[in-house]
Amino acid sequence: MLVSAGVVGTIISFLSLLMSLLPGAGAGQQTGEVDNVFRYGAEPGTWYSDRAGAEVRVEDFDDIGKGAGVLWRGTIPAIVLRVDESKLRGARATNGLIAFASTCTHLCCISTWHLDRPKEDILFCRCHDGVFDPFDVAKDVMQNGTEYIGAKVVAGPPPRAVPIIPIEIKDGKLSGVADNLEIYGYCG
Amino acid sequence: MNGCLSTRAGRLYVWLDKRFHISPVVAELQRSVNFALPSTLTRQNKSRLFWFGYPYYYAGAITAFLAILQGVTGLLLAFHYVPSAVGDPGTPTQAYLSVENIMKTIPLGALIRGVHQWGANLLVAALAAHAFWAFFRSPYRIGREITWFLGVVLLGLALAYSFSGYLLPWDQLGYWAATISIQIVRSIPVLGDPVAQILLGGTSLSAVTLTRMYFYHVSLLPVIAIILVGVHLVLVILQGVSEPEEAWKTPKTDKGQAEKRNAPLFGPFFPQQITPVLIISLVALGVVLLLGAFGVQPPGEPANKFLTPRFIVPEWYFLWAYGLLKWVGWVYDLVNFSPPALIFGVDLVSAKVVGILLAGAMFLVLFLLPVIDRGKEVRVLRRPLKTTIGVWAIGLLSTLTLYALNEILSANLSIPIDTLNMILGLIVILAPLVPAVPAYIVIRRHASRMPS
Repeated sequence: MLVSAGVVGTIISFLSLLMSLLPGAGAGQQTGEVDNVFRYGAEPGTWYSDRAGAEVRVEDFDDIGKGAGVLWRGTIPAIVLRVDESKLRGARATNGLIAFASTCTHLCCISTWHLDRPKEDILFCRCHDGVFDPFDVAKDVMQNGTEYIGAKVVAGPPPRAVPIIPIEIKDGKLSGVADNLEIYGYCG
Repeated sequence: MNGCLSTRAGRLYVWLDKRFHISPVVAELQRSVNFALPSTLTRQNKSRLFWFGYPYYYAGAITAFLAILQGVTGLLLAFHYVPSAVGDPGTPTQAYLSVENIMKTIPLGALIRGVHQWGANLLVAALAAHAFWAFFRSPYRIGREITWFLGVVLLGLALAYSFSGYLLPWDQLGYWAATISIQIVRSIPVLGDPVAQILLGGTSLSAVTLTRMYFYHVSLLPVIAIILVGVHLVLVILQGVSEPEEAWKTPKTDKGQAEKRNAPLFGPFFPQQITPVLIISLVALGVVLLLGAFGVQPPGEPANKFLTPRFIVPEWYFLWAYGLLKWVGWVYDLVNFSPPALIFGVDLVSAKVVGILLAGAMFLVLFLLPVIDRGKEVRVLRRPLKTTIGVWAIGLLSTLTLYALNEILSANLSIPIDTLNMILGLIVILAPLVPAVPAYIVIRRHASRMPS
């Protein structure tokens, strides 16, 4: 009896091990309270590099064209920009500010603003030269069929737009509206 | 056997033979290994050190030597490496700190890591040389298809080894190289997602991924490699090494294989044939030691999943595939092609997927070569089309490698990226033809003059 139980136990352990290799297993889910405030990223050599981790505030973006790499909800890299609203198509800015997820839809590298191509007003992916136009926001479809709006791909291999993150401002702090989080999970 | 050994070694041999009856096995092994080496030319030239004249025969031996060296240095590194990537992005993890510790405080740690690092590069280079030689000389035609299949799988395995090892320091380059590569895998229609999740241990790169990569690097891949290399070598011993084409000029004697197997060889494996192999292995060891001592790369910045480093490129042997992905994107832009997002719910025609499928197709063609190329002729100068395809392929891989460096070249040469992309894009299309077309014309003319 004991031997049988041991054999069954071993088989179950082995099957558990195999199951753990299957898709979905081991995917860590974030737990606990997460606030929606944008916080500055840590890109060295930028105007915001000494503010890494600090909350993003409206008054920091005093000029049109000023942008920053930020982190939203602790896990979603994004870019916040002050734009000339008259040039913006397909979306509205909030107090002149607009935000996009910065994870490239090609192979999940992080796009930048005015860092690699400082003279071009584009979101640029360093890995395979993907280019997104933050002034041309249009509807697109995620691989799972979810519709969303984002900055259109204008060059390079990215298959779809990077999604916009709706902004709200409270007490001068910038937050993203977390209504539809699944559209930001395209890179896991 | 024991006659050629020293008295002490002879006594040990007798001791072992009495207990394990190894004499027949050793005799058969000795005869098989001797037979496995090219014999026709050895006899023709009466050369005892045959391999000195044919350097391409060394590629396999150097590969084997470097693989052993990687095993030894990897074992030493494993004593001090800690496979833990728990920690905040951008801060040093246990894995990162343990690599720094190996570099800074462990006696000879930096040298051992340097040898492991450079050994991996040279191993891939030797393997590529081995594969290219085999491509041109067509040894797979003479019943050696399985040896070829195993060889191509081993090439893929060496790349998997490098890939899994690259992530272990958990620095920025390794992290982002792994992220990009796994996303590439994920893009493969239908199969990509489950395979990527098995590699990742979840939906994105995390501490679990490092544990898995370490497991693949030190446990799973070595077991597979030892088995496959073993079968590859056994097949080489059973079937013999493919002889160089010069040997084909001499008609086989009527006495045939039986005499060939039993005749005393001019260059038996031990000590004559093994001597140049040992010499070239020592040279390789010297080169790796020098590179390891003076060219070891410390880990870069700690991995930060929110910050892709500038000018990120993979290891040199993955650059061609990286360049291919970029180049397909350039072609799509050039012809202003906007592919549909999904076809039957699957992404099939985006630049990314097409790039991946093209890279996969190139590997598949290499793997299936014995099935595709079934002609009897093996001489390079009598195969104009195949030799030309080989020359063209080398040119293509080189130019795609160049294309992969476009951002770095643009920044350093101060050429606008769009202009440079146009130049490099055209180079990818045209440059491989520059050596290939004349090669075809010359070889075809040469082939028509050669006696069959």
